[in-house]
Amino acid sequence: MAEDIIKLIKENVVLGRVNRDDEGIDEGMLGQPGVSELTEKALALGVSPVDIINNGLTAGMEIVGQKFEAKEYFIPDMLASAEAVGVAMEILNPHLAKSGIKDKGKIVVATVKGDIHDIGKNIVSILLRGAGYMVTDIGNNVDPQAIVDAVRDEKPQFLGLSALLTSTMVHMADTMQALRENGLRDKVKVIIGGAPVSEEFAKSIGADGYGADGFQAVRIVESLASAEDK
Amino acid sequence: MLVIGESINASNQSVAEAIANRDREFLEGLARDQAAAGADFIDVNVGARRGSRDDGAATIEWLVEVVQVATDKPLAIDSDDPAIIEAALRNYRGERLIINSVTAEPARLASIGALAAERQAWLVALAMGDKEIPDSVEQRLAACELIMAHLIRVGMGAEQVFFDPLVLPIAVDSSQGLVTLKTIEQIKLRYPAARTVMGLSNISYGLPDRKLVNRAFLLMAAYAGLDAAILDPLDAKAMSLVKVADMLTGKDPFCKGYIRAYRSGTIVD
Repeated sequence: MAEDIIKLIKENVVLGRVNRDDEGIDEGMLGQPGVSELTEKALALGVSPVDIINNGLTAGMEIVGQKFEAKEYFIPDMLASAEAVGVAMEILNPHLAKSGIKDKGKIVVATVKGDIHDIGKNIVSILLRGAGYMVTDIGNNVDPQAIVDAVRDEKPQFLGLSALLTSTMVHMADTMQALRENGLRDKVKVIIGGAPVSEEFAKSIGADGYGADGFQAVRIVESLASAEDK
Repeated sequence: MLVIGESINASNQSVAEAIANRDREFLEGLARDQAAAGADFIDVNVGARRGSRDDGAATIEWLVEVVQVATDKPLAIDSDDPAIIEAALRNYRGERLIINSVTAEPARLASIGALAAERQAWLVALAMGDKEIPDSVEQRLAACELIMAHLIRVGMGAEQVFFDPLVLPIAVDSSQGLVTLKTIEQIKLRYPAARTVMGLSNISYGLPDRKLVNRAFLLMAAYAGLDAAILDPLDAKAMSLVKVADMLTGKDPFCKGYIRAYRSGTIVD
């Protein structure tokens, strides 16, 4: 029974169905329970929240990620699935707190100075939240000093920087420099992303990782996190 | 509808490399091809070269020279940096000119506004302040109001102002198509002499068959009152639809422009 309901949660994440009123990606699902009803039901049946997250929500998002990379899924598909995961996490959070389970880590994200493009950053935030991270979004057009302050105050394990313009990606380098000058560089892992940015650029400014899209960003964070645990 | 050719933009990797390598031939080709395809203006954007930040001025001065060798079409100088715009104009020989762009952010509105007034340029004004793109029609119109009041004060005519209503990807927020279209409508109502311009490709970000979406949006925007589009003139279907849009919105008496384009073989179904 527990396995069945977790499987249903996973499938409905893949379909991006928040609740029973959601038609989802395929037609003909209207009226059947969505991720939020299924999550409530799983809890009522005594399924552990961790099981729901790992084998239902996360497993579902992994499939979504594969479909996105295969160009079978598009951004709206991905956002629908991420929203379903977000709603489920809201239901699960009080239960997680009660059982004393820690979240996976904290991430501060920002679009750098001079750049007001926030769509990429927002997508990455949604996917990171879906993967169980605590995300603090400090907005766009963020000055290096303000990023330094956020790192000092929030003490995140990760910092995600975004830029869409060739003219603003230089401020990623400024931000790295500001972190160094403030003695914070070794306190936080920095990952960067955005259209003009590359692996090579990430290396050149001394960042820890580069994500070409939202799913890659999550993967990089996961791999940096597990490297840190060792 | 005016067509501003978008291809010479450093956010495109191959263009950025051509600029970095001072590859005249490649860039002249881009300018010439866009002019031949019917662009009214050629947009030039140098971005900033990777790892450096102070050679933007020299770069655009060179690029303007290169493009002027290839075509007599007027240019749209695509930068929000007054120093780069000034550098671009140093050797600019054209009469008509578009400066692309300002926002309601006061410092740049003042400096670039003064430049546009002095050069009697057409000025693209984004319907936003210095923060993120507002997601409502009202906030975008409030930015337009600030911009128009300032530009009139410094002696520009409303007809020199090209408002960009701004386009956010429909993939991320389903309401954004209508927000853009309604912003165009309202701008045309409030400032009948001003014109509107937008880049089309943002609407389709993250979706399959992007060009189909862009073209459909072009037609809807034409009905809402779009006067100019920033697009790839080598997209023959889009260019055909520009002619169709002019015809269907009463800007092509006796359908002459459309029929002429048909006879010359440039209309593509």
